[in-house]
Order: sequence, then C-alpha cells, then structure tokens
Amino acid sequence: MTLTQRAEPHDPPESDALLSVRELHTEFLREQAEPLRVVDGVSFDVERGKALAIVGESGSGKSVTVRSVLRLLPRTARTPSGEAWFHGRDLLSLSQREMRRIRGRNIGMVFQNAAEAMNPTLTLERQLTEHLLWHGICGKSEARERAVRALGDVGIPEPERRIRVYPFQLSGGMRQRAMIAMAMVTEPALLIADEPTTAVDVTVQRQILDLLVGLKDRGTGVIMITHDLGVARYFCDQAVVMYAGRVVEQAPTSELLDTPRHPYTKGLLGSSVEVGGQERPLLPIPGSPPDLAHRPAGCAFHPRCAQAESPRCQEEQELISIGDERAAACWKAETGR
Amino acid sequence: MSDSSRHVLVHADDVTKTFSTPAGDVQAVRGVTLSVRRGETVGVVGESGSGKSTLARLIMGLQPCTSGRVLFDDQDLSTVKGGDLRRLRRRMQMVFQNPFGSLLPHYSAVANVIEPLRLHGIGSKSSRRARAIELLDTVGVSEHFADLYPTQFSGGQQQRIAIARTLALEPELLVCDEPTSSLDVSIQAQILALLAELQQRLGLSCVFISHNLAVVQRLADRVAVMSHGKVVEEGPTAQIFDAPQDPYTQQLLSAVLPVTA
Ligand SMILES: Nc1ncnc2c1ncn2[C@@H]1O[C@H](COP(=O)(O)OP(=O)(O)OP(=O)(O)O)[C@@H](O)[C@H]1O
Ligand SMILES: Nc1ncnc2c1ncn2[C@@H]1O[C@H](COP(=O)(O)OP(=O)(O)OP(=O)(O)O)[C@@H](O)[C@H]1O
Ligand code: SF4
Ligand SMILES: [Mg+2]
Ligand SMILES: [Mg+2]
Repeated sequence: MTLTQRAEPHDPPESDALLSVRELHTEFLREQAEPLRVVDGVSFDVERGKALAIVGESGSGKSVTVRSVLRLLPRTARTPSGEAWFHGRDLLSLSQREMRRIRGRNIGMVFQNAAEAMNPTLTLERQLTEHLLWHGICGKSEARERAVRALGDVGIPEPERRIRVYPFQLSGGMRQRAMIAMAMVTEPALLIADEPTTAVDVTVQRQILDLLVGLKDRGTGVIMITHDLGVARYFCDQAVVMYAGRVVEQAPTSELLDTPRHPYTKGLLGSSVEVGGQERPLLPIPGSPPDLAHRPAGCAFHPRCAQAESPRCQEEQELISIGDERAAACWKAETGR
Repeated sequence: MSDSSRHVLVHADDVTKTFSTPAGDVQAVRGVTLSVRRGETVGVVGESGSGKSTLARLIMGLQPCTSGRVLFDDQDLSTVKGGDLRRLRRRMQMVFQNPFGSLLPHYSAVANVIEPLRLHGIGSKSSRRARAIELLDTVGVSEHFADLYPTQFSGGQQQRIAIARTLALEPELLVCDEPTSSLDVSIQAQILALLAELQQRLGLSCVFISHNLAVVQRLADRVAVMSHGKVVEEGPTAQIFDAPQDPYTQQLLSAVLPVTA
C-alpha cells in the first residue's frame, strides 16, 4: 500500500459509530532513511456509550494511533493518512486550528505521560478551569465549581483545598486522578485515556473505572489504552490487540480473553500475573518486539511465534473474520487452535 | 539483640514525615516502623497517597525524617555526614517507575552504567567500560546495543538499563518504587524474573512498592500494607493474601480485577 494524498472530498462511513477510524497510517521522518511507518492500516470503531480497549506491547503503536486521531503528533511525524470520522467530520482532514476547538472540549484526553499533561508551574485550579474558560463553556466561578466537583468525583479528598496546590505536591496517584478530572470537566463526547490507572491503587482504580462507567452510561465513548487485561475485562466492551503497528486481533473483550485466537494474544495472557496465580509459571513471550525499520516479512510475529512452522507464516496475514464480531490476523485463528 | 534482628539491614524506627503545602500541613508518613532483613524482599502496597514513596525516600535518606530515625546497618542516617554518607549511599539504590527519567538522555546505555562508577572513582576507564558491559549483560541487554541512546530502547529495555546502573555500585539494598507499572505484561514478566534472579544470585535486600498485588505476591517474602501514612498490617506474604486481618487490606484485595474469568 502506498501513502498518497487522500483523493476528493469523501463521505463518512455508513456506520453510526461515534468515532470511525479507517486505514490509519502514520510515519515518522528519519534522517537519511526511509520514513518509519509505526501505524500501518489501523481501523476500528468506538460506539457511543461503549469503551474500546487498545492493548499490545510497548512500542506497538497504541499511543501513536490515538495521537494521530487527535492530531497531536511531533513535528517529525507526517500528517497521518486514512480517515477518522467524528461527528460527521474527518479529523484527519481538519486544520490544527479546527482541531484545537475539538480537543479538550468534544474529545477529552488523559495522557500516558503526566509531565506532558500538567504544567508544573500552575495550580490545579488554573489547569482544571483552562479548557472551560478557553472554550468559553462557562464563566470563572462556575468553572471553579465544576473543577472542584470533578476533583471530588475522581476521589481526591478535600477538593476545595487541594485545588490550590501544584502538581508536585500530589502523590503519583493523585496527579493521575487530577488529569482524569481535567479530561472530564468539559463532559466530552469521546474520552481517550492512555494508561489512566497505572499509578493508583486498586480501590481507587475501581472507583475511577466506575466513574467512567457512569460516563459511558450517559453516552460517552471511551478509548482506553491499557496493559492491564483485568482493567480491559472489567471496563471495555471491545478490544483491539496491536502488534508492530497493526491490529492483529479484535473481539468483544471477554471473548478475547476467554478464547484468544491469535498466538500473540495468547502470549499476552501467558505473561499476565494474577493474584492467586503465583504458582503458575510465567510464560513471557520470547524475544522482543520487532524493530519497525526491519519489519519481519510475512506475519510480523513469526520470529517469536511458537506455532510458526508453516510456510504460510511467511506470507502477509490479513485480518480474517471469525464469526460476527471477531477477527484475527493469523491463518490458524480460524480453526481456533 | 534477638537472632532475627541481627540480620536486619535497614530499620525505620517510628518515622514521621510532614510536608507544608498551600493547602496546609500534610502528614505523609505517621509513625512507621519497618525492618528489612538481609536477602529479604518486603513488598509495600496500599492507598495512593498513603506515603509509600515518601517512606521509600526516608529509607534512602533522600529526605530527612520529621521525627524518628532510619538505621542502615545500625547507623542512623541523619548522623552520618560527608564521605561516610557517600559511602553509605553507595550501598543502597533506587529504581523508579519511569526508567527514562532515571537515565541520562545524552549518554549511551553503557555510559549511563559507567557514570556512577566514574563518580565514585571506581576502576580505570577501560575497566569501568568492561564492568558496565558485564552489568548490561546481567540484565539482558546485549553488548551489541551498548552504545545506543536511551530513546532507542523500549521502556522495558530502558528499565533494564536503569537497573544495571543501580547495580553498578553493588548495593545491598534496592528500593523499587513501581518499577514495572509503566511496562507491558511481557516486559513486566521479564523484569520480575530478572529481579528474582538478582536476589538469588546477589543476595540483595529489596523494598518493592507496587499497586500490582499479583506482582507483590510473586516477589515479596513479607508485605506491609499502608493507609493514611501508617502501616495498617504487616506479615508474611501468604498470610496477608490468604487471611488479611485489617479491613483496608480486605478492601484492597477485593478490588483486584481478575484477568481470567
Ligand atoms: N517522536 C517519535 N519519533 C520517532 N519514532 C517514534 C516517536 N514516537 C514514537 N515512535 C515510535 O513509534 C512506535 C510506536 O510508539 P508508541 O508510543 O505508539 O507505542 P505504545 O504502543 O504506546 O507503547 P507503550 O506501551 O510503551 O506506551 C515505537 O516504535 C516508537 O519508537
Ligand atoms: N514534596 C511534597 N510536598 C508536599 N506534599 C507532598 C510531597 N510529596 C508527597 N506529598 C504528599 O504526601 C502524601 C504521600 O505521598 P506519597 O507520594 O508518599 O504517596 P504514595 O503512597 O507513594 O502514593 P502513590 O501510590 O499515589 O504514588 C500525599 O498526600 C502527597 O500529596
Ligand atoms: S501467522 Fe503463523 S507466525 Fe503469525 S501468528 Fe499465525 S501461526 Fe504465528
Ligand atoms: Mg504508549
Ligand atoms: Mg508513590
């Protein structure tokens, strides 16, 4: 597939999903080398009131995928190609100016990297009210009220007092909760959360997830990037598994975890630790994720796959449907072995 | 002194830490007593904001206690100064959640591991490099990649390099604050295997802070549960997980989300 400029004005897809991503490709420019393709033809839908999990190893392209949709890529990245339909508009064809009106207002974001989301020199109050004031959603005193409420909602004790502190004066988990409050305060239609609960204890995690369940019930769609398969099972309706910039399996989350079809998904489950499972030997996936500059030919997982004995594994693997709602990019997946 | 206490490497004795903030004083740690014996791993779990990281910094002598004291090998950290303190510091090292933040971005992997050796004037230029390569090998980073920069490694590899760097000074105590929470499950599995092996091979003592209870259950010999600046329950790992006594511990365990149905 080549990366060409998108052709003429185009129409939104027929699905009534909140966000429809189609054939997303993202490349980074490199010195004296071909651009590096890190997202390679990713498609998925996010429905209103539903959550989609994106899982996969470090470097598989999860963050770059959502950053492409948000148009928050570093300068070294090319403008992503493909489509990302949201409220009848293709986000990939909007100007940065138009995107700024959508980000923070219609799409809330919780970043993986706290340092990026929080300005260390501003109090929580300034940061939490910023989007409300900048987008002109409400006046100063209401903004403050909503900010305090949002902090309380994410379980920060004494929010009226805490709103006056600076980020460094919070514990890691409180900072993470403050970021979630910041993303929710404008009541966006779509919330994109990159590893939102890694720094909190499991009771706070449950509290945050239940809060997000409340948002879903009110129609908010959520994309959640997570390494925690327990979180995915509890909160996310659908899941996509990414490997080397591509979707290798997609399914309703419980089905994915109960009966993983792609050998890579099976590998992720084998590496997971679980309370009470301390006697089970860990089975880390051998080797490491591929260097994207030297993508293995054929199925990119084959150098690490225990089942890669057939010459068919040397061929490109397309996502093939298995039943109504599932698909996997492995020729063996159909047979369910 | 009883037999078991003789093997204690680090002992926090009724330590307290209070911070002043615009929102008033925060009592981050409120009278915690905790010992780590030689070769032992103590898991610290509990509420976000309950003072785990603060306790770790007190144990490392990175912040002074408001009251109480920390004894490392029977020496009160607050009374040790200058060169003695530097020598003592060498014996304890910390691994942080964000490996990238603990590496020097403009230094190659091997230069990152050499740096602490150089700072402490250990060895010659060439012997330091040889030692650093050896350490990288110990944590599973091939010599082949030794001259790459941190950004050229994955998060898990960065954490391995960060661990190699902390091992350079041959510490007796490793304090790990959420060392795997930014890593994916397959890399986490590798780092867990690495830590378990290092403990076996080097007899390291370890304080292991994590929100991931499954990880703590696998690695720790004993577990301390913190809430509101206090240790609310402490005991052998199996006892804490199988028969938790404190209501907060029970609440924590019941909030764990299963992966398998
Ligand atoms: N600014 C950049 N310049 C060049 N390459 C980049 C840049 N940002 C990311 N990449 C590369 O893109 C790939 C995907 O990165 P991405 O951050 O999306 O991974 P991820 O799946 O979110 O991983 P993690 O679980 O570690 O957050 C990686 O190989 C990474 O090295
Ligand atoms: N430098 C500081 N100044 C002011 N308050 C601080 C400072 N560092 C920590 N605190 C406060 O001390 C308390 C304990 O924080 P600490 O970081 O030790 O918690 P933690 O148990 O590590 O939490 P987490 O699991 O979220 O990382 C929190 O209320 C925090 O806001
Ligand atoms: S195509 Fe072959 S190598 Fe790839 S996942 Fe399937 S069995 Fe493994
Ligand atoms: Mg990421
Ligand atoms: Mg902490």
